[in-house]
Amino acid sequence: MTSLLIKNGHVIDPANKIDGPADVLVIDGKIAKVAKAITDKADETIDAKGLVVTPGLIDLQVHVREPGREDKETIETASWAALAGGVTSIVAMPNTRPVADNQTVIEFVIKRARELDLVNVYPTGAITKGEAGHELAEINELKNAGAVAVTDDGVDVQDEGLLRRAFQYTKTCDILLMSHCEVNNLTDGGVMHEGWVSTQLGLPGTPAAAEDLAVQKNIMLANMSGARLHLLHNSTKGATDAIRAAKKAGAKNVTAEVSVQHFALSDEECIGYNTNAKMYPPLRSRDHIDAIIAGIKDDTFDAFTTDHAPHIEPEKLEPFIDAAFGSTGLETSFAVMNTYLVEAGHIPLSKGISKMTVEPAKIVRINKGTLSVGADADIAIFDTKAVWVVDAKKSLSKGKNCVFDGKKLTGRAVTTIVGGCVKYTKGQIVGR
Amino acid sequence: MTDPTEKALIEIRAGRDVGFFDLHSIDQVSLSDLDTIFDIARAFRAHQTYKFSFNKGCSMVNAFFEASTRTMSSFDLSAKQLSMDTSNVGSAASSTKKGESFLDTAETLDAYNLKVIVVRSKESGVPEMLSRHVNASIINAGDGWHEHPTQALLDALTILDHCGGKTLKGKTVAIVGDIMHSRVFGSLVRILKKLNATVRVAAPETFIPSGVENFGLTVHHKVEDALSGADVVYALRVQEERGAGGFIPSLREYSKMYGISKKRLDMAKKDVILMHPGPVRRDIDVHSALVSVDERSHILKQVENGMAVRKTLLWLMANRMDGKKKVMVRK
Repeated sequence: MTSLLIKNGHVIDPANKIDGPADVLVIDGKIAKVAKAITDKADETIDAKGLVVTPGLIDLQVHVREPGREDKETIETASWAALAGGVTSIVAMPNTRPVADNQTVIEFVIKRARELDLVNVYPTGAITKGEAGHELAEINELKNAGAVAVTDDGVDVQDEGLLRRAFQYTKTCDILLMSHCEVNNLTDGGVMHEGWVSTQLGLPGTPAAAEDLAVQKNIMLANMSGARLHLLHNSTKGATDAIRAAKKAGAKNVTAEVSVQHFALSDEECIGYNTNAKMYPPLRSRDHIDAIIAGIKDDTFDAFTTDHAPHIEPEKLEPFIDAAFGSTGLETSFAVMNTYLVEAGHIPLSKGISKMTVEPAKIVRINKGTLSVGADADIAIFDTKAVWVVDAKKSLSKGKNCVFDGKKLTGRAVTTIVGGCVKYTKGQIVGR
Repeated sequence: MTDPTEKALIEIRAGRDVGFFDLHSIDQVSLSDLDTIFDIARAFRAHQTYKFSFNKGCSMVNAFFEASTRTMSSFDLSAKQLSMDTSNVGSAASSTKKGESFLDTAETLDAYNLKVIVVRSKESGVPEMLSRHVNASIINAGDGWHEHPTQALLDALTILDHCGGKTLKGKTVAIVGDIMHSRVFGSLVRILKKLNATVRVAAPETFIPSGVENFGLTVHHKVEDALSGADVVYALRVQEERGAGGFIPSLREYSKMYGISKKRLDMAKKDVILMHPGPVRRDIDVHSALVSVDERSHILKQVENGMAVRKTLLWLMANRMDGKKKVMVRK
């Protein structure tokens, strides 16, 4: 029997409506007790005085790049970055090389993560073969191999007839479909949000309507069969309105997320042709950000993610129009949420934690994101007052392309525990 | 210094320097910079092709990653008339065609200890990006749909010479054509607003970029509304090579709706001037009879002013009087 006691912390466990001072006792990798002033003896004791203790964060959208693009990121380096951000479970996107449209890739990701024994990695499979948008992948095989969802993330299924069948089929297999919402004919080569900033920079813009229309289309087609739909990285007012309306109309099959950069930063980050600010969906203008924050407050949005998208340096040193899309984010997601939502006075910390723990766990139906007795002891300890300046060069991720590089944030993971083992503490991966 | 022509120029410069070390946007140019540039440019213009020794020992490369006729030749001749050594890197022959990045090409050129690299690119932002990585001064000779600042400087000189005065307060400039894909527009609108002009644009909505009214201009779909009472009519080319295809049904219909004809030009002020950055598509942007024959056309005057303005910039940027050096902020 091994035991670990986290003392004197402020525990926030939204799944159990706990938000106050408490100790957490872990025995053999499971939560044994959460209570005030636990006096049990433990093999190891962590003093969390002045710190916040939460379930380990869950990130529904991470590009681990392995297999195939190990130059950008590996499951190991993505796991390090996750641990440094207090993230204990990541959902891996299927746009690897080869694409995770077959059970071999799913099995590889699961096996590799198990060997590494760092964070929990939940692979997703592709909706269509090769993410090419022409034929359905063998979705039931993907599910049986361990995929928690299917998605063509990075691209959207453009053919509505095929998308409808995909929903019918995922309904049949009882697996979640995650949609990256983009109507290609409207984005049409756009590289940032279409608006005043894109006009000043002379860059082709992506109109918000490209996302709005795709969100509406996805909801409509999912509702034809009642399939479970999760809308990835929403960024527009139109998307927010459509999701709110669908939920109001009783669509229990629809969930939605916001990637933290989309409520934190605007399209003005692109000024100076800053390629780290190039991503899809693009950073939007202030009016969209305000709508997104309103949607967070009224729970139109269920979860926060990073869309962690590491790239090698030359891909971001290209002219803006040719540079790769995406930003890293695993190490900064808690701090970004804490800085731009909690410190800014929009939501209480417990709500932010909820959308990064129990809510994403429900979406992909994993038994995580809680400090309930008997649950896996995945725990993050945060210093919510720590002020730091992001230095992407020091990132544990292989990708140094972080849009928050140079930004001052408040809140940082101090210790990250997975399955009862301390994997990260005081800026170091344990055992690395 | 014994040469009286050079002495005259030095007196006009009067020890002045500009506030920028690279030029990628008109946003970097202050009103006092404009005064300096235009005073010197007028003097250079008066001396036509006179060979000055000002930039002897300074080298410059024209790095044109996209084709150009007038901009490249006028930079090259301007440099030579200042006794600079120049070399031209064209996209067809350049290493970028072999997979070398813009950055590596620019850093290679920079190792020649150049004073100036003139950059044209089909992608917006390349000159600004490169300026953060090289010691040489970068001059933007047109980047994507973004800006073409030396064009705006020569245009402003042309307009000011016509209107008189140091600003364009109370003067109306009507810009007609594909403003969305036009870097000429990007710089022109910035300099016109800096000089306090009233700016109108006329184009089909498909050519109007999002939020463009924030520049402080009015958008017109009927060309006549924009031209009426204007002091300057500035026609832009329909930029098919930059993606204008598909934005209009046909050049024929565009020409009928927006082409500058004699009848339309007559709606502007009596002493209106007609401008165009070139190359002109005769009978599409501007009716053929107006291009070079009509006395209202200032198109060739623009070209002449281009030489003077570029010579001025090369002197100011390669030869600072204040001894200040560019500080590279690699990012």
